[in-house]
Amino acid sequence: MSLFAQQLVLGLLLGGVYVAVGIGFSLVWGVLNIVNLAHGALVMLGAYLTWWLFTNAGMDPFVSLPIDAVALFAIGYLVQRILINRVIRAPLFFTLLLTFGVNLIAVNLILLFFTSDFRAVAPGYAGSGMTVGDVEVPYIRLGAFGVALLLAAAIGLLMNRTRVGLAIRAVGADRDAAQLVGIDLRHVYALTFGVGAAAAGVAGGLIGTIYSITPTAGDPFTLQAFVVVILGGLGRVSATVVGGMVFGLIEVLAQTQIPQGAGWANAIAFAVLVLVLVLRPQGIMGRTA
Amino acid sequence: MTGFRRRLLLIALLVVMSIVLVLPATLTPLAADAGLDPESLGVDFLVNKSILRMETTIAMFIVLATAWNLIGGLTGYAAFGNVAFFGLGAYTVGMLTDPERGNLPFAVALPLAPLVPAAFAALVGLPLLRLRGHYFAIATLGMGVAIGEVIKNIDLFGGSTGLFPPIFRRADWLFFYLMAGAATLAVATNWLVLRSRFGYGLIAIRENEEAAAVIGVNTTLHKVAAFVLAAALTGLAGGIFAQWNSFINQENVFPIEYNVEMILMAIAGGAGTLFGPLAGAIVLESLILWLAGMGGEVAVISQIGLGLILAVTIIFVPRGVVDFFGGQSTLSLAHIRRSLRETSV
Amino acid sequence: MPLLELESVSKRFGGVKALRRVSFSIEEGEILGIIGPNGAGKTTLLNCISGVHRVDEGRINFDGRRINGEPPHMVARLGIGRTFQIVKPFSSMTVRENAAIGALFGSSQARMAPVAAFAWADEVLSLVGLASRAAFPVASLTIPDRKRLELARALATKPRLLLLDEVMSGLNAVESDQALDVVRRIHQSGITIVLIEHVMRVVAGVCERIVVLNFGEVLTEGRTQEVLDDSRVVEAYLGEKYARRLRQARGERDQDR
Repeated sequence: MSLFAQQLVLGLLLGGVYVAVGIGFSLVWGVLNIVNLAHGALVMLGAYLTWWLFTNAGMDPFVSLPIDAVALFAIGYLVQRILINRVIRAPLFFTLLLTFGVNLIAVNLILLFFTSDFRAVAPGYAGSGMTVGDVEVPYIRLGAFGVALLLAAAIGLLMNRTRVGLAIRAVGADRDAAQLVGIDLRHVYALTFGVGAAAAGVAGGLIGTIYSITPTAGDPFTLQAFVVVILGGLGRVSATVVGGMVFGLIEVLAQTQIPQGAGWANAIAFAVLVLVLVLRPQGIMGRTA
Repeated sequence: MTGFRRRLLLIALLVVMSIVLVLPATLTPLAADAGLDPESLGVDFLVNKSILRMETTIAMFIVLATAWNLIGGLTGYAAFGNVAFFGLGAYTVGMLTDPERGNLPFAVALPLAPLVPAAFAALVGLPLLRLRGHYFAIATLGMGVAIGEVIKNIDLFGGSTGLFPPIFRRADWLFFYLMAGAATLAVATNWLVLRSRFGYGLIAIRENEEAAAVIGVNTTLHKVAAFVLAAALTGLAGGIFAQWNSFINQENVFPIEYNVEMILMAIAGGAGTLFGPLAGAIVLESLILWLAGMGGEVAVISQIGLGLILAVTIIFVPRGVVDFFGGQSTLSLAHIRRSLRETSV
Repeated sequence: MPLLELESVSKRFGGVKALRRVSFSIEEGEILGIIGPNGAGKTTLLNCISGVHRVDEGRINFDGRRINGEPPHMVARLGIGRTFQIVKPFSSMTVRENAAIGALFGSSQARMAPVAAFAWADEVLSLVGLASRAAFPVASLTIPDRKRLELARALATKPRLLLLDEVMSGLNAVESDQALDVVRRIHQSGITIVLIEHVMRVVAGVCERIVVLNFGEVLTEGRTQEVLDDSRVVEAYLGEKYARRLRQARGERDQDR
């Protein structure tokens, strides 16, 4: 029983990470209709930035998260403005291929600068945690969980309460109509992608403190982000939160059922994906057609 | 393009292909008999081993891009996981020829290489092909990654070490001809499909699936059949590759880049056309191989180069060198400018 | 035996009842109009017949055979052709290719080899008046021509029954007269037709019998003139107030009944 409770807690904490990974992906997909295959690479950029600041400036990983967000926002804004905006109205093959190209470039630039060595961020409190009953809760994972929920709340507020957020949602609903009321599409597209990238950067900062990282570790996160969004249902922040939590639970529970379960992350993600798409294509939180 | 010009192009292509295919085999012994050095004849590119390997690789990508064309170009389903079929074909040959497993001769194993991926495609095709657009794209992408991971994790399939089909010595010719044969088969399949009722059905699905259904196209059957055909051809290339390389593991037969490279080749050359994927494969794979040579030890540089090629191709030639999904061949500045205007905001 | 027969067909979308116990039938060689205000369920009905939607309750018989539950391509193969209100052409193809696809597949009478299919496509195109545009890409067609193409493609499948979904909508008076002419010619060639329309004038000019749908139910059914005189029909279209005024204007004729 206590083992199960432990897994439940670990699953939810992992789910927090998936919420962070999924939220930017969901935003970009929902508004721009782009499935961003470079999302995992953006996550890794955030992770390496946190690692670099920790190693060279001794900065606490949680303190460096806002820096990740700002840096990745800038990168995301430029990528969309310079590259993706040019093919945004082309058939979906083109945006998929272009973001894959961006992914390839980003991953290999990281390889060039940081080499393929494993890197880890280990602040003093790494490894310690608190015990609640029989259940152990590592501080870092708890912190990451809290940050992920804060991130979700912040993006929710941004989308519902601010001028920029309303412009983004208007563009997502109908870009022609949005243009007619005076919204600059190019700018709003770039802003949206920038916000999505910033969220990816924060997710990367969290991941850098939890796992050891390599430049090519990003690709599974793209698939996982996709599964989280499908699982929850496209379009709303709350749906991504539910999707991320459920996926975290599924992964932890599934891995304990399989010997050497850690090597099966992609297979589990794919199995969940196919099941959801076949059984409930609109996602857990999606409305029926 | 008029019928006459099309026929002319076809004949020219056949002539070039027969020269490339037939000449080297006859030339080598002839030249040896006559005491001539192929290098002094200026035809060393035909008998140079490393160039032969490059040509085999290009032929392999012709198979992949042309096979993808059936499901992606003709049917309009963005299949991003065809590498799963390549890997399954390779592992079929790997398992059957491995001395400790099947221990069968390559000639027996190869015909089975298309069957396993085809059966797999039929199985997963039924649920997956109900999805459209991005959903289908990522579901297939996940399929490619997941199959590789499963195989890597199961010791029966050699685990992360991989499999080692027995090495064929001095057989570079054999593999070149096999791969060229597979490429010819793939192009021939496309040709047959394009002029059959089946092919029209696929195009109708691409253009408007609902309208296709109400005029009597069995859309499910058509889509699954196209997927299975693509899987069989891709698996054949994988099977040849396994024996050619005489070493396979998850990394070299399930590379996620192949998914994207084959699509890029088909689109750059003209998705949905007969020779577009072939032309795209020749041009882009030559470019990729050249870049890989440039990078030397630093594979990273060539990967960045590939990413740049991808980005530039996608942005500046959104309609393909041959117009996207059939139509006129255009590669003029005005055309590029116009299509840029159409696709950007 | 009627060619097409609907027995209390119902269809729900979530909580909305789009069709409620709809029944009617059509004899071979007839031309039947189905009219009703926007949202009455006309297109849903058509989607149910052609297999695009699954019926929740009831039964649809075609030529004595139950067809509800069959996928759309089977319905087409049995000999029911249809058009879409919002045209769905195969847009990267030429006009001729669009029609030929109908003949390559279509009903069991069609399903021709490619060469024969293209020849039949040309015949069909001249019937609807698109022969001169056969070689053009669809993108170059005007709206009325796209409607004709929709008609040609359905016709190319050699149907016994043709379901036409608002083929006149969006056309001006001259264009819709021309389209009506085409419909008459198709009917004369021996094809049974169900004509769905929003505009009553169009239906009155060509149909022998009319079914009126309102809120997913059959409001009334009968010979064209009877139906047009029915005050309930006017009410459904124009509201109660207008119907009352019309009744007063007609005065005595109304009281006689």
